[in-house]
Amino acid sequence: MNDELRAVAAEILARDDIDGIVGLKEMHGTVRPCFFTDADQLPLMVVDSRYPVASVVRLLLEEGPDLRLAVVCRGCEERSLIELAKNHQIDIDSITVIGIACDSDTAKECNCSKPYPDSLMVGTALENWTRDTYDTYRQMSGEEKLAFWNEQLEKCNKCYGCRNACPVCFCKECELENPLWVKRGRLPPDFPIYHLIRAFHVAGKCIGCGECEKACPTGIPLMTLSHLLREDLEELFGYMAGRSLDEQNPVITKEEYE
Amino acid sequence: MKYEAVLTTCPYCGCGCKYYVEVVNGQAKRVMPCKEDPVSEGKLCIKGWNAIDFVNSPDRLTSPLIRDGETFREATWEEAYSLITSKFKEIKDTSGPSAFGLLSSAKTTNEENYLMQKFARSVIVTNNVDHCARLCHASTVAGLAAAFGSGAMTNSIPEVEDADCILITGSNTTEQHPLIGTRIYRAKERGARIILVDPRSIQLASIADIHLRQRPGTDVAWLNGIMNVIINEGLADEMFIEQRTENYDEFLEEVMHYTPEHVEEITGIPRNDLIDAARMFANAESASIIYSMGITQHTTGVDNVKSCANLAMLTGNMGKASTGVNPLRGQNNVQGACDLGALPNVFPGYQAVTDPASREKFEKGWNMDESIPETPGLTVVELLNEAADGRIKCMYIMGENPMISDPDISHVREALDTLDFLVVQDIFLTETAEIADVVLPGASFLEKDGTFTGTDRRVQRVRKAIEPIGSSKPDWVIISELARSMGSDQFDYESPAAIQDEIASLTPLYGGISYQRLDERGYLQWPCPTPDHDGTTYLHKGEFKRGKGHFFAVPYRPPAELPDDKYPFTLTTGRILFHFHTGTMSRRSGPLNKEVPTGYVEIHPADAAKLGISDGQAVRVSTRRGTIDIPAYVTDRVPEETVFIPFHFKECAANLLTNPALDPIAKIPELKVCACSIEAIV
Ligand code: SF4
Ligand code: SF4
Ligand code: SF4
Repeated sequence: MNDELRAVAAEILARDDIDGIVGLKEMHGTVRPCFFTDADQLPLMVVDSRYPVASVVRLLLEEGPDLRLAVVCRGCEERSLIELAKNHQIDIDSITVIGIACDSDTAKECNCSKPYPDSLMVGTALENWTRDTYDTYRQMSGEEKLAFWNEQLEKCNKCYGCRNACPVCFCKECELENPLWVKRGRLPPDFPIYHLIRAFHVAGKCIGCGECEKACPTGIPLMTLSHLLREDLEELFGYMAGRSLDEQNPVITKEEYE
Repeated sequence: MKYEAVLTTCPYCGCGCKYYVEVVNGQAKRVMPCKEDPVSEGKLCIKGWNAIDFVNSPDRLTSPLIRDGETFREATWEEAYSLITSKFKEIKDTSGPSAFGLLSSAKTTNEENYLMQKFARSVIVTNNVDHCARLCHASTVAGLAAAFGSGAMTNSIPEVEDADCILITGSNTTEQHPLIGTRIYRAKERGARIILVDPRSIQLASIADIHLRQRPGTDVAWLNGIMNVIINEGLADEMFIEQRTENYDEFLEEVMHYTPEHVEEITGIPRNDLIDAARMFANAESASIIYSMGITQHTTGVDNVKSCANLAMLTGNMGKASTGVNPLRGQNNVQGACDLGALPNVFPGYQAVTDPASREKFEKGWNMDESIPETPGLTVVELLNEAADGRIKCMYIMGENPMISDPDISHVREALDTLDFLVVQDIFLTETAEIADVVLPGASFLEKDGTFTGTDRRVQRVRKAIEPIGSSKPDWVIISELARSMGSDQFDYESPAAIQDEIASLTPLYGGISYQRLDERGYLQWPCPTPDHDGTTYLHKGEFKRGKGHFFAVPYRPPAELPDDKYPFTLTTGRILFHFHTGTMSRRSGPLNKEVPTGYVEIHPADAAKLGISDGQAVRVSTRRGTIDIPAYVTDRVPEETVFIPFHFKECAANLLTNPALDPIAKIPELKVCACSIEAIV
């Protein structure tokens, strides 16, 4: 798959209307984000599920707003670009998506809702995979659920990693740092307000990539929270974040008021 | 547009998380976790996420400074070097090399620590070189070396999650080593039993199966008590004791005095809880002991460490995966600073200065005419004492801030003021640099190449991501240039990689480590003697480094200062998640400073009520050494009659209060216990 991707990338990099490609490269035995501007770099380009490139795109565009980028995207990454566009963080028309499909292992690990992007260029779209539906959790009583989260959230290390790693968290002033809601400097942070603020603040934007859970040093099952909220929004409003540019977020958050 | 994700190692704690620093057009922009890093696995604590924040602080030193009356004037590097050279030579000529004291730094790289002790031993020709490990784990180095033959964490961070029982004592792991906390949570999830022994109800108390709250300073007693129960109930590992250890009988005789009843009197730990903990630990297939400064910073620090070693040997929990005695080292590179000989008694790789063969090897290796002194030099606290007495006349301090970190700060200030000449090399104008004669601006971890050694003996690369700020220079460059200015021709290095090659040639522990191998493999854990060696995940497999593991008979001794009528509270000090050591870096990081902008004293609600103190109110805390005013945090995290103060904050510095009484062997001060009084300020 790497060869196929590199071939596609070489063609796109040769185009006049592209300044560079955001993708992943392998070096010193680890995979890391890279901005490919030269065909010589392409042999290092790899397909890897590991790094959310949308946040790299945002960083590059902050520094160079006129850059015309191509981005190697998985399903979730395309969804995150769509959400960033809907929230006026990036201009999606200046971005070319080089879509790649995920295999079933990856899809399973992420419990993904759609493991391929719309602009698929490399790999085959996986149509049938089994998703966890969180039945054990759903069967808990309200009291059990509260106890479950209490026990989980007591471990929180207040690293803000769940927010930092999230591709659709972009507020300049974060409400998690507002002492009106969350007392500063306390460990664990106040239950459950810290986590509720985060969950509600990403609701309607959350594309279910699971980066929050992967970043959590204390193993809190944040993906369960993300997926359940996403499913509720679909059930209640027929809405799914990241699906299309035209869908309106039914959850109004503070920014939209202002 | 240039974008690069540079893989480097965290400059805060000893976990040694590696992560990417995203650099755009030469500016460090953001930290991104590295999911393939074996320690962090793509997760970080709040300090790691914000580790690049202090680098661009407007407070960074950007030029050498030379004292000009009450203030400093900016100077060129040449000017600074020539002033230091002439002063160093003058003092060496008139007072001799033993009038010098050098402090190296657990924050700088291995290569820089190596050069600092090389500078001390070959240019000044003194063994008076030490660093802040003295204040945190000197007792570990001494105690574990005596028991096992090697003074380091026996096992590795990833192994912690597979232990069946973990005993954590004197380590607030989720705050001081969050990514080791991760492994403890995972072990718990897997069904491991967690025993916490800590006077305070720290975060880990919520997952502990047993939490024993001992009186501060009574660790030998409860450790002996646990061992007493294990032996009496026939739970000791007879085979291990027989085959792999010595001096068991002497140890046995001592331990027999520590019945659970007697231990309860000394420690306040209910006897049945102690018995439960003993059974839980001894019955586990693999049991791991994790400790940190709550064990080491006592006048009985070495005794405490030896007792931990006894417990591990008694239950056969040594030389296997997921077991062992695991001291968690505080600073990112305190392990490396010790390994590379920034200690007064050993050369790199713990080769004793008292050993003629080692001296000869280094004298030859460094092409010296003079001979290195055959006696160990002075330790940090001794250096400062001798400075106060006028015997130490000149100090060269790199990346350390004894004005906050050392016990009894008023005394430190007096000592440093008495010096004829003080050179401080740092990235900020620290409280210590403020009183220097010459200040040299060092470059931060983002601005240089090198290696750090994490707490589990893991040597990893630090990689240059951006250019040095202003005219600051990496410490390895500064020491080399100064050595050349002093007339040495043994400091011509092209790069830190070349320094590492020299280290490998003189230090068997690091003999197989090179930058090329580190680039290929990500890390190597010492001992790694040869270029084809894979490194060592856990120590003492099959045989102890010293041959047989040595049991020590350790009688309980009370702390140096106990509460009395005038000072009725026990004061214990420590660190918190959001800050690091003297706050030089963390307090200049916006997000960290926002979390906790100043210090506080934790006091139990019952005590607070008695003294009429409410939460947030300013109180006055006094000891025989000093007095500070500080806001109260009323909380049942602390037990009654014990108060806790984090030591990071200069405006309410805990170390104005602490007791400089020393452990007789390791010379570590008793920062964890002293007597204090508290009153509300009206
Ligand atoms: S799954 Fe987590 S990281 Fe991903 S978008 Fe949702 S909240 Fe953000
Ligand atoms: S990533 Fe985990 S530990 Fe960190 S703030 Fe979020 S929930 Fe807490
Ligand atoms: S756990 Fe330690 S090494 Fe890891 S990010 Fe935090 S401070 Fe840095």
